[in-house]
Parts: sequence; C-alpha cells; structure tokens
Amino acid sequence: MARIKIDHSRCTGCRHCEIACSLNHVAGTANPRRARIRVFKEGSTYFPTIAGPFVDAACTSKIDVVLGDQTYNMCLVCRASCPEKPFFIEAETGFPLKCDFCGIPPSPSCVRWCNSGALELIED
Amino acid sequence: MYGHTGRCLRVNLSRNDYQIETLPQELMEQYLGGRGLGVKVLFDEIDPRLDPLSEDNKLIFASGPLVGTGAVTGASCNVVTKSALSQTIASAKLRGHFGAELKFAGFDMIIVEGKAERPVILSIADDKIAIQPSLEYWGRTTSETEAMFRAALADKWAGRETYLVSIGPAGENLAAVANVVTDGFLAVGGAGIGAVMGSKNLKAIAVKGNRSVLVADTSRFVQVITTIINKLNSAPLTSQSMSVWGSAFLVRLCYEKGAVPFKNFQTTSFEGLRHVGTEALASAFPLRSRGCFSCPIACIKKSDVQDSRFKGKGMAPTYLAIGALGLNCGITDLTTVGMANIICAEMGLDPIAAGGAVATVMELAEKGLVSKEALKIDMRFGETDHLVTALTLMATKKGHVRRIGRGAKALAEEFGAPELFMGVKGISMAPFDPRALQGMGLHFATSNCGPHHLYAYTFIDELLNVHEPVDPATTEGKPALVKTYQDTTAVTDSLGLCNWPLMGLKFKNFVPMVNSCLGTRLAADDLLLIGERIWNLERLFNQTAGLGVSDDILPGRFIDEPLPAGPAQGQVAGIKEMLPEYYRLRGWDESGTPPRDRLQALGIEDSTNGQDQD
Repeated sequence: MARIKIDHSRCTGCRHCEIACSLNHVAGTANPRRARIRVFKEGSTYFPTIAGPFVDAACTSKIDVVLGDQTYNMCLVCRASCPEKPFFIEAETGFPLKCDFCGIPPSPSCVRWCNSGALELIED
Repeated sequence: MYGHTGRCLRVNLSRNDYQIETLPQELMEQYLGGRGLGVKVLFDEIDPRLDPLSEDNKLIFASGPLVGTGAVTGASCNVVTKSALSQTIASAKLRGHFGAELKFAGFDMIIVEGKAERPVILSIADDKIAIQPSLEYWGRTTSETEAMFRAALADKWAGRETYLVSIGPAGENLAAVANVVTDGFLAVGGAGIGAVMGSKNLKAIAVKGNRSVLVADTSRFVQVITTIINKLNSAPLTSQSMSVWGSAFLVRLCYEKGAVPFKNFQTTSFEGLRHVGTEALASAFPLRSRGCFSCPIACIKKSDVQDSRFKGKGMAPTYLAIGALGLNCGITDLTTVGMANIICAEMGLDPIAAGGAVATVMELAEKGLVSKEALKIDMRFGETDHLVTALTLMATKKGHVRRIGRGAKALAEEFGAPELFMGVKGISMAPFDPRALQGMGLHFATSNCGPHHLYAYTFIDELLNVHEPVDPATTEGKPALVKTYQDTTAVTDSLGLCNWPLMGLKFKNFVPMVNSCLGTRLAADDLLLIGERIWNLERLFNQTAGLGVSDDILPGRFIDEPLPAGPAQGQVAGIKEMLPEYYRLRGWDESGTPPRDRLQALGIEDSTNGQDQD
C-alpha cells in the first residue's frame, strides 16, 4: 500500500503543499484553510500535518511529546479535526476536512509539489 | 476576478478610520498589481515633491495577482512610498508569508495615510480591522514585536496563522537607513521605508485571513506549475547552488570576476576569500532552508548565532550581507557578518544602506577626515566590534541616529568628502562593482529606486551566463540587456513573483502560469510593455520630485579610478558611452526625459502638468 512519508527535518515551510491540496479539492480555489494538509511551525521546525479523522470532542488529557531535545504540545501535531483547534475545519461552513489521499499514485497533489523532500510517497 | 481580490484597504491614521475600496479592473490590466499598482496609486495620489516624512506621504503594501495562488514563488508584497533616504520613489520587496496572508484576508493592497497621534498597530483579520494603541511595543525589536503580538491574541491558535510586518527601533527613531521586517526577513531594497512607517507612528501591520484566492484554469495552472518545478529542479543554479547556500554562493563567482567590493569599493582584490566562501558559511552556521510562500527553491537560510558577544536567531548571511556588511567594511569574519545581519533585522536597518554608511565613515577615518570625537564612535576598516557597535547605536541612540543614521551621502558631505559616497540618488550601492560588471553599472546609474540589483538581475547573464554568454567587461549590448532586465523585473515584481527563478527559467516560461492563473491571453511582449510602462511612470515620479539627468551617474571613483588589482584590473565603468544608447532604446530625449508621445504610446496620461499648476 502506498503511504506518505513526512520528514519534517527537510520541510522549508513554503506551504506549497497546502495550496496544491486546496486547488485539487475545490477547483479554482487557493486557500490554505481549505487544505487537508497544514504546515505548523514550532520552535525552529516545521511540521507538515495531514488531516486525520474528525472527532466531535476534544481530548480530556493533554499530552506533551518529546522529539529530540524539544518538547511539543501534542495538540499541534495531532492530525484530528477536532473542536480544540481551528485547523482542518472549513472556516466558512464549519465542515471538517480529512485527507482522502486524492492523488492516485504515482503522486498525491501535495507530494507532487513538495520540492524539499519533506513529503514522499513510499510503497511498503 | 481571478488572482486579484479586487479590494483595497485604505487606512487613515490621522482620522483613525479606514475604508474598503474596490479596485478598477482597467488599472489592473494596465499595471497588473503589486509594484505597478502601488506606483500608479502613489503617482496619482501624492505630490512627488513632498517631504517623505510628512503626514501627506503614503505607504502602500501591494501583493501581486499571483501571490497566494500557488504560482511558483508567488509570495512578494511590494512596499511603495517616497523614500526618506533618496527622495525617489521606493519599491521594496517583502518576502516570507505576509503578502500571501494579505490576499487571504481579501486585500490586494493596503494604503496607509496620515499619522497616528500615538504608536499603533494595524490589525487585519478578514474584515475585522482595528487600529490598536501599541505604546508597549514601541522600542521593541522586530522579533519581540511579532512574538508579543501573537501571544496577546485571545485565540491561542490564531498566532500561528498571523503574519506581521514591523519596524524596529531604527524606523521609530526615523533613521533614514531604516527598513521594514517580516518574520526576520528585511524587505529587499527597502532603505528609506522604515522611517516613513515610523513617521506615521505605525509600529506594525498584522494580517490573518480565511478567504480564498481564485484561479481561472486550475488544471492548466497545476500542470504548468508542475512543469516549472521540474525545470527548476533540473537547473543546477536553482536546484543546487541557491537551494543549498542561498545567494552566498555568488561570493566566489563575483570574486573571480573582480566584482566584490572591498573597503568601500576601493578595490575588488583582497586576502581571505576562504573565510567568506560557502565552506566557511557551512562551518560558521548550521544552515536550515526556509522557503517563502510557495517557493520550491527555498534560498533563505536560517541560523543561530551563538557568540560570546551576541546570541540570536535569524537569517544566515546572504551575498548581500556578506558584501555590504562584511567585505565592504573590510571584514572577512562570517560570524560577525551573521551577527550584523541579525542585528539589522532586529533593529530594522537596511543592510546595504547601514553597511554603506559604516563603510563610508571607515574610509573617512582611514583618510583622516573624521575623528573619533566628531562621531563619538570609533570606526576602522576590518574592526568587527566597530561594525556591531555602530549598527546598534545608529538604530537606538538618538545622537547617533541623527549622525550615522542619515546614511552615507549625508555623512560624506558633512565631512567634506562627497566623493567618498559610493551610491546613486542618495542610496548606497548593492555590493557589485560597476567597473567589473558594466551592465550592472548602467543599471545602478539609471535605476528609479536606487542602485540595487533587485530591479535588474543583469548578473544572471553577465556573471552566470545562464541565458546567453555575455562578457561582463564590455559595454557593447549592455543598454539593451539592462532595459530588458529592468522591464522584466517590473513585471515579475508587479505579479508578485521572485526574480531568482530566472537563474533556471526564461521569462517566457512564466507566461503560461500568468495566463492560466488570471484567465488572460497575454504574450511575453505584452507583459514587457506593462513593465516598460511601470518603469516610465517611476521615472516620471522621480523627475517631478526634482531628479534629472545629473542623477543618472555613478560615483567618480568608478569612472576615474581604474580597479587597482584583481581579475578586472584596469577597468573603469563605461557609463558615459552606454547612457545615450540606453536613453535612445527607452525612447527618451538626451536629457533622459520621456517625451509626451512616448508616454502616450505607453498609455500614460501626462498628469504632471496638472501637478505643476497647483
């Protein structure tokens, strides 16, 4: 099965993937808030985050994740479209967004435009 | 309307109010947007003769139509105003994500008028527009300002999607060499803009938006962009040199052609290239690539400086910083250059103008024309501490702002040696020696916004021979080369694109991207005609402001003093033989004035007559 591998150490934060996703899902519309992939910056690292399932309640437990020598708020890198944060929810309609792996291999649209090597399509 | 949002936010700080206006379609057809639209609006709305720091000057932030659409490198927001440093029109390029966010907030352009009574921040979140008091931000550095603003937002997630452009202490103190900063990136070519923003008591502008930017023909557009990304990937300069080193890779190439200035343009030959080359850069800083919005090249390198004298995060030195803040001040220590570059970004100083002022003082001191007592600061070539101290002082200490912060020209004149000012139209020159690159020399002399390579990347051909092999030493064919690059750049700036991709692409490769995005059927020549229209309008602005043929000249050093050593030894700038040909190609008369019929052919109404009468 094909999967998207994310290497956040290579992400340059250009957010071209967000626009690729947006244009691919709503023809003629470039809007990062309608993208199912978002790039979040924390410290000096960018995290490309692909929208996961919709949940109707926020987690009751808050978790910190330690990656390398930095500690991150789990909410930030969590893929859920949830009431806790405004991402992966269409601003105008409140409609939750989830990655549908749009680009049938060889490449989803976000991977096709990612030039840094942060997003890669792999087979396993 | 595709690409454009068609809306403009006009903020009047004196009256503390704003209005949202609709932009006329024909203006965008004639001037595209971004720089072109900004120049047109400024030309129509202000008297070019006014004092740049007066309440009547206007400050325009304009994003081009391709910004935010996903077009390759479509990220630029142009800042247009009358420059406090040069008295000419200024058009700087803000990189990063501010320009795109402005489009997502639903605006092509912000026009800032008047002057706030007390320091304010303009906050835009879609149609929620507020002019907030910001006394607590005054005096803060640019990164502190951004962090404070984000932390103060009620919605804890909103800060992640909010982008700011701000001034540092230099702009607040009205230093003429001040610039504006977004996310640690100084606006390119922005000398003289920070003080205008400071004079309006506007500390920062913050934007965040949820709106969409529309694209005409999505499937074609996506296909064209994929092709362009692949093209950039197969070009060695964009896929290797720029992506890995940023523009710093130019240092060695320029040195080999004798084009890197050393000690205030006294020579281009020096010891210690290995201390400023790419290997030295990699060992001095851990480099992390950072891309502006939708840029596959990601030439910006971010880094940390960990030094006993200074600790901070920011941009690793580019060619511009290494040249202007390093070599031209006689400094070959990259750690110091990195530090100086970050200080510039934090204080909101333009590296070319501030570096030029320091280099001029250093030469004045070397020649014994200025004493330490006169400037209350010691400055000698090659002294790293002197540079770092001078940069901090010229932004923060009122006395030094009034002396060094005025820029190189004022300093050279005050100490009786105007010939030591290495610049044109009051602005210090970007670090390329016109004696080694003849085309760049002609461009520096004629550029409307001062001698900056940003407005014509002639070195892509002259130095890198990307599109055609051009001999940098000859003057032959240079006027045509310069005119083409100047017009091309006016177009890319107006569309909101970056010029670096021209190292891997031809201008005509952009055309399908423009047409599929905007739904137009323009040919490359149609676009270049728009570029020429913009260039002529800027020229007209400057002429009304009082500039003339005598301002299209390089400093005497480049004409009378042949390069003393190095690969370009013995060369002088052949500006006098190129200028008449350049004027002829532009269709101007021998005094460099665009005649009425030329302007009419370009579709520019001659409104200067009206301005002369009042």
